[in-house]
Amino acid sequence: MSVVSTHGLTRKFGGLTAVDHLTLELPEGGVIGLLGPNGSGKSTLIRMLLGLVRPTSGEAEVLGSTIHAPGRYAARVGALVESPAFVPALSARANLLSLARLRGLPSSRVAEVLEIVGLSGREREPVKRFSLGMKQRLGIAAALLPDPALLILDEPTNGLDPAGIVEIRSLLRSLGRSGRTVIVSSHLMAEIEAACDWIVVVRFGELMFSGPIGDLMARTRAHIEIRAEDDEDHHRLVEALTAAGWAVTKEGDLLRVVAEPTRAGELNRAAGAAGVTLSRLLVVQDSLEEIFLEMTGQTDGELTVRRAEPRGRVA
Amino acid sequence: MWAATRSELVRLARPRMLTAWFALTAVFAALINAVMFSMGGADAPAAGPGVTFPDMATLASSDGLVVGLSAASSMFGIVTLSFWALATATDYGSGLVRLLVAAQPQRWKLLVGKVTALTAVTAVATVVAVVVNVGVAPAAAESAGTDTSSWQTADLPAILVQAWGNAFFAALAWGVIGLVLAVVSRSSAVAIAVGAGWVLLVESIVAVAFDGTLTWLPGTVLTSLAEGGNGTLSHPSAIGLTAAYVVLGLGAATAVTIRRDVTD
Repeated sequence: MSVVSTHGLTRKFGGLTAVDHLTLELPEGGVIGLLGPNGSGKSTLIRMLLGLVRPTSGEAEVLGSTIHAPGRYAARVGALVESPAFVPALSARANLLSLARLRGLPSSRVAEVLEIVGLSGREREPVKRFSLGMKQRLGIAAALLPDPALLILDEPTNGLDPAGIVEIRSLLRSLGRSGRTVIVSSHLMAEIEAACDWIVVVRFGELMFSGPIGDLMARTRAHIEIRAEDDEDHHRLVEALTAAGWAVTKEGDLLRVVAEPTRAGELNRAAGAAGVTLSRLLVVQDSLEEIFLEMTGQTDGELTVRRAEPRGRVA
Repeated sequence: MWAATRSELVRLARPRMLTAWFALTAVFAALINAVMFSMGGADAPAAGPGVTFPDMATLASSDGLVVGLSAASSMFGIVTLSFWALATATDYGSGLVRLLVAAQPQRWKLLVGKVTALTAVTAVATVVAVVVNVGVAPAAAESAGTDTSSWQTADLPAILVQAWGNAFFAALAWGVIGLVLAVVSRSSAVAIAVGAGWVLLVESIVAVAFDGTLTWLPGTVLTSLAEGGNGTLSHPSAIGLTAAYVVLGLGAATAVTIRRDVTD
């Protein structure tokens, strides 16, 4: 069963199209990464799934119910949308208690979620004294309150220190393994790569990819980085390798050769034949970040020229 | 709906906010009594949407003990409008509305919960106003040499209850105006500026421009209600018009809350 399915889902703001005929199916269980440059429509998509924003056209279902009746699934969905939002003068406990009361949950649930996110002992402090990382944890705690079947987290590691990021990543994995579905929106590739089982990539509100992370990583290519021992040999090495049919580009003081890893030895011999000794020869696999940039472009989505095109998409 | 009310009450239980609300109410109740009796009904400014000053006969009548509540009704109104606007606009300004709507997509329930909770706090604030008024008025009257013999009447409990009721319903209507302004503007500053500006300035100018014929303006209506009816409007007319303002206001706030996208 799909935990989320959309069919031609579109949202326009005036002349700008934030989400453009998006059709996708997200599987139940595990951690799903929602990737896209700034302004790619991730937040608008999340807001539509939560009933905060109405679609201009198209349909979508969350946990089997239409997004036109979010009340049918709200009790089974927890969310952190953009930055965590609380009443600054109230304590962490009071803020969560307010949300627990709204959902008709027992007060004891507040202590449970505070324990899960590591805020036990700080629950009496007013939220205005919290660091960004602590507010982020509190936001995750609020999302966990209903013990949700579907957890939607928008940039959950924002403001966390490295130890906090590792903790939250571990938490996401354990939530995903417990049968819940966790949708994590992020622009941090390493974060997504480390925690997610399924990846969705959007750009200009359009779907670029949706599938298991393994399928996306299978698209990666390898290249070989080499460096001549003597810098003066670089030019000669480039000429020799190019003449021999290798695809060579210069990147700083390194040469990047697009070739299968199995040809590393052959490359080394070609350099030797040209009379150049290599001080470095390293096979490098493309990262998710490189695939992402290849899919979505090298510029900030909000600044790219497509935003101003007559089609009027939100970048 | 009850869940939304309980949730809202937790958020309203901010000691500083409640203290400020009740303290301002108490200060206005004390101030109006001190000024009102010291003036002794002499050279009273013309009645309008701001503070109204009763004459000597009214101060000495059986209603004299509680007349300060109606005299300062617009001030209580501005205080109520401000805190309703603050409590409402904070949800938008802080982004809390995202969490609230995600947890309770039936947005009208959130609105009803907020109105119910704020109504409860307004009722308590009005009790504070009555208590302070009853505490200060005798001393202020004695200091000004006002005859208070008519205040000792068997109807005193009924007079107190009616004074509380009139002040409460007038304050409630002001609160709803603050709520509507805050829902529309999503800014407490804008809502308070527009609300207070209307009461203190715009309505007075409009009333003068139309030679006092526009008796349905909110400040005039709510002042009449707080006074239990006056020369401008009878009590039943004031109640009817106030109810109309409340229904229209809540209708507008509900429509905006339900229809508008949550982009904050």
